[in-house]
Amino acid sequence: MEKVFIPQEENKTTNGQQKVMYAPNKDGKFETFKYGSSVEEYATSLAVEEYKILMEKSKQDILSGNASPIKYFMFKNRMDIPTLASIVGKFQITVKRHCKGNIFKKLNDKVLSQYAEAFDISLEELKGLHFEK
Amino acid sequence: MRNEFEHKQFAHCESGVVSTLLSFYGLKISEPMAFGITSSLSFVYLPIVKINGLPLIAYRELPKNIINKISKVLGIKIKTEKFKDPIEANTRLTKLVQDEKKLVGLQTSVFYLPYMPEDMRFHFNAHNLLVYGKESSKYKISDPVFEEVVECEESKLMRARFAKGAFAPKGFLYYPEDIRQNIDFPKALKKAIKKNAKSMTTPFPFAGVKGMKRLAKKIENLYKEDIKYIQLFLTHIVRMQEEIGTGGGGFRFLYAAFLKEAKEYGLDNEMLDTASSLLLKSGNTLREFALLCVMGSKKIESLDLEKISDKLHEAITYEKEAYSILKKI
Repeated sequence: MEKVFIPQEENKTTNGQQKVMYAPNKDGKFETFKYGSSVEEYATSLAVEEYKILMEKSKQDILSGNASPIKYFMFKNRMDIPTLASIVGKFQITVKRHCKGNIFKKLNDKVLSQYAEAFDISLEELKGLHFEK
Repeated sequence: MRNEFEHKQFAHCESGVVSTLLSFYGLKISEPMAFGITSSLSFVYLPIVKINGLPLIAYRELPKNIINKISKVLGIKIKTEKFKDPIEANTRLTKLVQDEKKLVGLQTSVFYLPYMPEDMRFHFNAHNLLVYGKESSKYKISDPVFEEVVECEESKLMRARFAKGAFAPKGFLYYPEDIRQNIDFPKALKKAIKKNAKSMTTPFPFAGVKGMKRLAKKIENLYKEDIKYIQLFLTHIVRMQEEIGTGGGGFRFLYAAFLKEAKEYGLDNEMLDTASSLLLKSGNTLREFALLCVMGSKKIESLDLEKISDKLHEAITYEKEAYSILKKI
């Protein structure tokens, strides 16, 4: 019978929860076993980290006037352009435009509140996003 | 006939929910059986469809495959409902679990579930969970990938049920309505196994064994990309492979377990044993493959793309053999 390795490593991304996987027991019958995988941990962390990097980068872009708060909150909420576009019901190209600093200034409250709702924040929080240089 | 509701933790959300649901309403069925009898093992690599800039890779059938197919293969009735209005969807759910004391399956987003650990919250809209009751404004939830039952405020659950984007759940809920007992399992199993073996050996170049080969080729050619993309690509493969809890190629283990269980129904047991063993080997190899992907991404200077691609080819060899056996069952 082919043996299955059940990893028992730490995985911080699951917050203390352990997941289960199937493997044969001593008698060759399959059952679920709890496992923890550092491989999974790394893959998940890298994906989480990537959004943080994009968020930090958009912060810099906002300071230089090239990006709008929409871009910042998009990454903060782990979204990309297609996801956000579908949530606010707009074309991707429109959302891309709204991510620009100069276009953002011209947007009316009706459009902005759609974004605020998507990010679960108030209109003021969206408009008032400000970073110190 | 209804059995006592009992929370259980499973390897995969959809097969887990279907297993608990059917068992509760009188048809005892294991998670591997729910997965296998709906021919849910798969492989897809679609470079044209992008998720966060990375290609679509899946190790199992599309979401809702099990829910949609199980009624057909077993000849049972599963009531499904979709909604336009979140409030209406919420009222309906409350009525079902509170007044009718039903156990109900839901499709939700992962991102908006407040009990989900922070690092696991992504915009994946095809998560499945069970609601087994409600107390004041809190739903009692049995989430199949969690160790214990959880609770969720109704306003939060409404949001998770109406998340937008790919696979938007639209308040989707489901529960069995009519479960008959005299099911011809041997016939259904034979058909399901053959069907899955066929779909894994399809000539379509982006699916099944061919799709795995194409991914192996892509990995070999990754050196043309920049470091960042290579890292994200390799870990993306791992994430799609593990997907909220399956344990390194876990879908292969799940299917291997299914083939073992199928031995109780008078099919060719030698074939089932051999194929099950081969899929275990593939699962083990895929776990090593995931490890290589992660190590390569961590230590990019010692990255050996050919070695990673070879590992995937090893899994392909086992799977090819398994499906050629299962086709003849």
